[in-house]
Amino acid sequence: MPEVTVPIGPHHPALKEPVNFKVIADGEKIVRLELDLSYSHRGIEKAAEQRDFIRVLPLLERVCGICSHSHSTVFVKGIEEIMQVEIPPRAQYIRTIIAELERMHSHLLWLGVAAHEIGFNTLFMWTWRDRELVQDTLEEMSGNRVHYGMNEVGGVRCDLAPHQVSAALERLPFLEERIHQYTDMVNDQQTMLLRFKGVGKLSREEVLNYGAVGPTARASGVDYDVRRDDPYLAYADVPWNVVTDTNGDVYGRTCVRIGELHESVNIVRYCLENIPEGPVRINAPKIAPDGEIMSRYEAPRGELVHFIRTNGTNKVERIDIRTPTLANWTSVAMCLVNKNLADIPVIVAAIDPCLSCTSRITLINTPGGKPGIITFDELRKRRQISDKGRGLP
Amino acid sequence: MSVLVEMFRNLLTMPSTILYPGERVPIPDKFRGRIAVSDEICIGCSKCSLVCSVQCISMVDSPREIRFKDKILLRKKKPAVKLFKCIRCGLCERHCPTGAIYLKNELSDSGTDKEVIAA
Repeated sequence: MPEVTVPIGPHHPALKEPVNFKVIADGEKIVRLELDLSYSHRGIEKAAEQRDFIRVLPLLERVCGICSHSHSTVFVKGIEEIMQVEIPPRAQYIRTIIAELERMHSHLLWLGVAAHEIGFNTLFMWTWRDRELVQDTLEEMSGNRVHYGMNEVGGVRCDLAPHQVSAALERLPFLEERIHQYTDMVNDQQTMLLRFKGVGKLSREEVLNYGAVGPTARASGVDYDVRRDDPYLAYADVPWNVVTDTNGDVYGRTCVRIGELHESVNIVRYCLENIPEGPVRINAPKIAPDGEIMSRYEAPRGELVHFIRTNGTNKVERIDIRTPTLANWTSVAMCLVNKNLADIPVIVAAIDPCLSCTSRITLINTPGGKPGIITFDELRKRRQISDKGRGLP
Repeated sequence: MSVLVEMFRNLLTMPSTILYPGERVPIPDKFRGRIAVSDEICIGCSKCSLVCSVQCISMVDSPREIRFKDKILLRKKKPAVKLFKCIRCGLCERHCPTGAIYLKNELSDSGTDKEVIAA
């Protein structure tokens, strides 16, 4: 049978974010997959170079709507290391609590999305309902459901009041019970087992070759977690375990994420019960000395890296963001080969892709194939011509 | 089996959703809602305008005598906030020395009209 190219995206009703798949299929089997990213380049790295350390944090939080705390924490962690500033222990604990609550809401969101992709919408409704409890806790602690705005260079912006701590502690047993129920559900339900087991399998060697990170790597038996291997915040003080699995398929990734939900509940409980007293911030310098740092953080989707270079001013000279989705994309393209077309949604969803966070470049005039630099004025002129063509003012 | 347990439990409980706008969700104390400026205590230092991450705060002429730290100051300007542009990050509130600019814990009317300016 001749090979057929099935184009999906960049604008497609089934896609939540813009991405272009070119699936080369032989019948129902996928022969090859070509991926085009970067349809939603926002120029965040360049914009970050023009803002001081106070004004850059709300921008960096908006790299991602799910792991907003991850991006601001990895940045302030890097800047504090360049400045050689030690933040108070209470601030470390508050950052850890928010980080783990964020991981919980991200994994619950993912479980719902994965269930939705296989048509199990009942579980989607239940997980998203329970996720609201985590969102409410985050809203009470920070003032916002998504962009928490907790971090600043030198500590955190607001302290936790005793009633917030007790309200969060009251919610944890219910969440824990729910997560136990999800564990049973994933292992009991034939709907999930049939669609998850043996789908999108990646061996340990393949994961290491393609450089996958986070739950995708841990599901294939790679025992690596930045929180344990390069401890930051309060993770060195907290007793917890890295969750791994040996299945290597979508089922394994689900088990790892549910296991991490259990661990996150334990970490949050430990931090809330043992949070030290004291100040939540110190007066950090406004200017960072010359320096370079590769700041790493275990975001819910995997290892997040910010490369930061400072030049003795109150702004960064260069910031480069490597989101976990970019590291996981190669493994997706590889594990789709020889699979059925119907498995694409669940395999792609299994890495928990966040495409807009991944977009770092924009390709213009690709058919010409000539590399070159386009100035801002030239871009503006092209935009005006394009708008006129579409009848826009 | 776990699905059946959940199903029976749901039959015995109330819906998880609310009937908006008749019912409203409780708003926490720290909620970052609509921005507001207290004219009586603003000393016109422009800090809020300098730290604003989306540059939605501009200083407008508003001469007035203000008491600050047992001194009488002659204020020249005060902040005017374009609510449509404000992302409610709370940086102005964090850096205001007198607490004159703050975020109210109000959910509605937090800025959908381009013309609305809080001053």
